[in-house]
Amino acid sequence: MTESRLVRLFPAALLVTALLGYPFLDRWLQAQTVHAVTDAMIYVLLALGLNIVVGYAGMLDLGYAAFFAIGAYTMGLLNSPVLGSPLYGHVWSFWVVIWIAALVSAALGVVIGAPTLRVRGDYLAIITLAFGEIIPVAIRNLGDITIDIGGWRPVERLNLTGGENGVNPVGRPHLPFVNFDTDFIPWYFLILVIGAFSLWAMNRMRDSRLGRAWMAIREDETAASCTGVNLIKTKLLAFALGASFSGFAGSFYAAKLQAITPGAFEFNVSIMLLCMVVLGGMGSLKGVILGGMLITLFDRILLSQMTFLVRWIGRSLGIATLAAVDLTLWRWFFFGLGLVVVMLIRPEGLMGRRVRPPEADVDEGEETLALVAAPPRPRAETLPAWLREAAATPRRSTDGLPVLEVRGLTRNFGGLTAVSDVDLVIPAGGIVGLIGPNGAGKTTFFNLVTGLLRPDKGEIRLDGASLVGLRPHAIVGRGIARTFQSIRLFQNMSVLDNVLVGEHCRLHASVAGAVFRPPAVVAEEVRARGRAREVLDFAGLGDKAAEMAKNLAYGDQRRLEIARALATEPRLLLLDEPTAGMNPRETDTLTELIGLLRHELGLAILLIEHHMEVVMGISDRITVLDYGTRIAEGTPAEIRRDARVIEAYLGKGYEQELVSI
Amino acid sequence: MSAADLLALDDVHAYYGNIRALKGVSLTVGRGEIVTLIGGNGAGKTTTLRTVIGLVRALRGTVTFGGQRIDRVPTHRIARLGIAQSPEGRRIFAPMTVLENLELGAFARTDREAISQDLERVLTLFPRLRDRLAQKGGTLSGGEQQMLAMGRALMAKPDMLLLDEPSMGLSPILVETIFDIIRNINQLGTTILLVEQNARMALRVAHRGYVIQTGRIVLQDASSALLRSDLVRKAYLGEK
Repeated sequence: MTESRLVRLFPAALLVTALLGYPFLDRWLQAQTVHAVTDAMIYVLLALGLNIVVGYAGMLDLGYAAFFAIGAYTMGLLNSPVLGSPLYGHVWSFWVVIWIAALVSAALGVVIGAPTLRVRGDYLAIITLAFGEIIPVAIRNLGDITIDIGGWRPVERLNLTGGENGVNPVGRPHLPFVNFDTDFIPWYFLILVIGAFSLWAMNRMRDSRLGRAWMAIREDETAASCTGVNLIKTKLLAFALGASFSGFAGSFYAAKLQAITPGAFEFNVSIMLLCMVVLGGMGSLKGVILGGMLITLFDRILLSQMTFLVRWIGRSLGIATLAAVDLTLWRWFFFGLGLVVVMLIRPEGLMGRRVRPPEADVDEGEETLALVAAPPRPRAETLPAWLREAAATPRRSTDGLPVLEVRGLTRNFGGLTAVSDVDLVIPAGGIVGLIGPNGAGKTTFFNLVTGLLRPDKGEIRLDGASLVGLRPHAIVGRGIARTFQSIRLFQNMSVLDNVLVGEHCRLHASVAGAVFRPPAVVAEEVRARGRAREVLDFAGLGDKAAEMAKNLAYGDQRRLEIARALATEPRLLLLDEPTAGMNPRETDTLTELIGLLRHELGLAILLIEHHMEVVMGISDRITVLDYGTRIAEGTPAEIRRDARVIEAYLGKGYEQELVSI
Repeated sequence: MSAADLLALDDVHAYYGNIRALKGVSLTVGRGEIVTLIGGNGAGKTTTLRTVIGLVRALRGTVTFGGQRIDRVPTHRIARLGIAQSPEGRRIFAPMTVLENLELGAFARTDREAISQDLERVLTLFPRLRDRLAQKGGTLSGGEQQMLAMGRALMAKPDMLLLDEPSMGLSPILVETIFDIIRNINQLGTTILLVEQNARMALRVAHRGYVIQTGRIVLQDASSALLRSDLVRKAYLGEK
């Protein structure tokens, strides 16, 4: 073992020693804090589960305590069925039920997740809030059920949950030679093992295909689906996995506390968990652990100690109010105050990532030079071999068929016809320009082809197969990739991760694969990263792979968006104003890049563009839209002279403009 | 700064977020002029405008408007001093009607009669807005939204209008229309500071121009001279 490795392992070894030694030190000192620390770890585990939903996938969940309740009651009802329950007398072992609890919670996670798929933000929060209220109420009312139909009583005084009294006592786990009855230390080690396992699994999930998809959804849902992420499946997985960790935590909590009542799982628990995540830093595992520990230990240990202190001061000074104070009644006041202060000083949370672009003072002569000299030109030699291979093998026989064939495409918004009966054909390897006045329906046309909108009428075929009705990620899978008019990158993800999300639809790792990493998954991930780096090298972004996407210069962001689209291995690339906001030099190199993609990969390209030099220069044919209808179609030379196009779009000054260039 | 200058920035340094966006910008805009500020993405054009209206604070240097220091004055008071802005990306109030958007432009004013005269004046400048008075702002096309943003700024009856990338994302024919209107507004007596990436069009309409690169003014001259300058032709007009 080398010295540097030792140095690196030292903090970890210290941490493990501290965690293992702490309960014995506590006993030796007679501090009696193990009980509170074990509870704190339960809440940390809950907060970590919530972090998957809120921190990774970016969905605000205000009812997370419901899953905690479900985990706890699964343990209570199966391990210690109440009198009156049909399960009474059948006792299941703690070691079995803890897994069942995780499964039941995950299943309910899918149930609560399902209606929230169509809503976001405030609405999602309201639905989860309602769910969080429903569960404790349901638990209360399932304690005494009688169904009376005209004197016939099929169910009488059925008690499933123990009602308001809850389940008391809940059985304990049994292990040979371990005393779970009177000693807190075994509990401490049990939650330590569960927590370590959960943390290990979450850490691996975060750095996987699935974790990247979650973060992509958090950053930009529309862009994620247009990059090949299945929104429904990915969001449900977040809900299910987040819930399953709370299933573990809940069942452990029930067994440790030995008694559960519906009151222990109400709204304020959800809010406290959310506070832990926000205080620590959304998305940061270390942060959430810190947030959870701080809040619970502050509540359980510090507040009561402070109460003693304040009372002692009060008695010493003879102030009766202070002598009788009970600070634990003020806990919500302190939480609120602490949260406000943290949000003002560090809005990203205690351990959240604060992104500061490097403060670079560049040499001005160099800057001017870089501006006048052309940016790095795309070179055919750097085009990744795998992209060539992907482009060379068609997914279905396509003899003679156009890549894209759109017939009679129509879409109305209310009374407004945004796209009306539009035809458009792109042959293999063809570049087609789509131009027209603002509001003519060009972007709506893109949204129809990529599945973000459904056509009212008309047919869209890729290589002869219809795309109508497919969701955006499925269309990406078929081979259509796009960029956006206003750049839509995953801002708070690295440049490399942005491209890796592009590869998402070509990778296969599952949840289990992400956690256990069998050789096939490892190999796939290594290959994917290699490919992503090759694409970045080609796009001239190779040295910026680790940068946060939002810190890139504007022109680099545009190129990254194209690199991400290329990573999906498209047959057809839709570019929405790719040169908008670029200076003439950057525009030139981008035009070259588009030509290269057609030449070397045989990609078909559909291009919305207002820069006439670009669109006239590289398009084989141009389609002109105005008020949603096609007013002209032809070669650039034909379009340039078309009277209707000049009137609606180009303007009379355009001819002079061309002469002056 | 000469007496004829309406706006003057002197050695202004400012941060935008964590980036040192302005590193000593000095420029003047004379009463009745159109002055353009051209430069690439991230050069500091928008930050310059935001510093003028007080959305970004100058760390060093002074901003003077009509002889009065405004670099420590809050934005809403600067607006009342007679500077109006049509921001980048238009930022119109999408759920409100075109008329309501325009009326909000005159929010700080109380001279009811003059307001209705100005509304008439704006609708003469932008006849397309007259057809759409009752329509919601968000349903307008990109070009119409740009007109609305400019019209709304004019409703404040400003001495000075700040325009941030008015041609962005517009079709060639609309770009021409917008620049014609800019010239019109100026001829009616409003001083204009115009930030643009479309250097060719901006220099055609402006009297004078400044070139900004990474937070510093690197060139300033009459527009006709800038159009002939080597740097401008290579870096901003795309000539080989």
